Amino acid sequence: MARAFRRKGERYVAKLDEAERMIVAGLMEQTRLLLAPEIPSTGDPFDDLVASLESSVSAPETFPRGTDPGDRDPALARLLPDAHRADPAVAAEFRRLTEQDLRRRKSDALTVAIDALRGVTEGDKVAVDHAGAQAFLVALTDTRLLLAERLGLHTEEDVEALHARLTDDAADAATYAAAVYEFHTWLQESLVGALMGRRLLP
Amino acid sequence: MSTAPVKEPEVISDQSREPALPWITLVWNDPVNLMSYVTYVFQSYFGYPRAQAEKLMMDVHTKGKAVVSHGTREQMETDCMAMQGFGLWSTFEKDQ
Repeated sequence: MARAFRRKGERYVAKLDEAERMIVAGLMEQTRLLLAPEIPSTGDPFDDLVASLESSVSAPETFPRGTDPGDRDPALARLLPDAHRADPAVAAEFRRLTEQDLRRRKSDALTVAIDALRGVTEGDKVAVDHAGAQAFLVALTDTRLLLAERLGLHTEEDVEALHARLTDDAADAATYAAAVYEFHTWLQESLVGALMGRRLLP
Repeated sequence: MSTAPVKEPEVISDQSREPALPWITLVWNDPVNLMSYVTYVFQSYFGYPRAQAEKLMMDVHTKGKAVVSHGTREQMETDCMAMQGFGLWSTFEKDQ
């Protein structure tokens, strides 16, 4: 039985069994795959900076795939949305300047969370420090955004329908996916509560 | 929401009567992000007090969007990027 995140001294600790950890880590890996920077990290922050600058100054037509939002996976379009609603040129310029950095930040946060989940050594305890908890929170957000897109959760009514589905006894794939989504929601709610200094859930 | 195209004016010296904080960052409602998390982001990134962060979160939730910061275009690009980094649905534009 999973136990939500709680603050313990300087650490934030949840108890998740191996199957639960593998589900969350596996979905985070899928999210990281979708978000992976188009310019792989060289392992040297300075070289990475140079590579991303070269991409930022390249002509728009030579910029890597996905410049046209219409070509994008809808989940990626939600994770990296247009930053200006009325002016596509402003949105495109923002994307050119920020996208590689955003992809890297999000990928790095996912890696922190995946490592915490895969690195559990005793008592099914997933433990992170304060910075790790912040990264874990962002990783859960991006994973839930991806799941929500795949589940077609676009409105509050869609989410209510998902809740209703969970009260059914159906054992189909969609009900399982809904339960996985709600598990991530529950885990994130507990971690926000722990970080904000009060528990929101028992 | 406005669908009118926003034409970005060139900065010229005699526009000194422009408002001091002519650009805004917006956060839009979505059915995924938790109310607690959105409040947490507004507190931790902007440093807003809890009550202000909660009011902005409720505006996003009930009105569909909220203006979360004002400033120069560069500042708003930074804030918008940060909000998107947190997974919030954020845009920026020139204040009308």
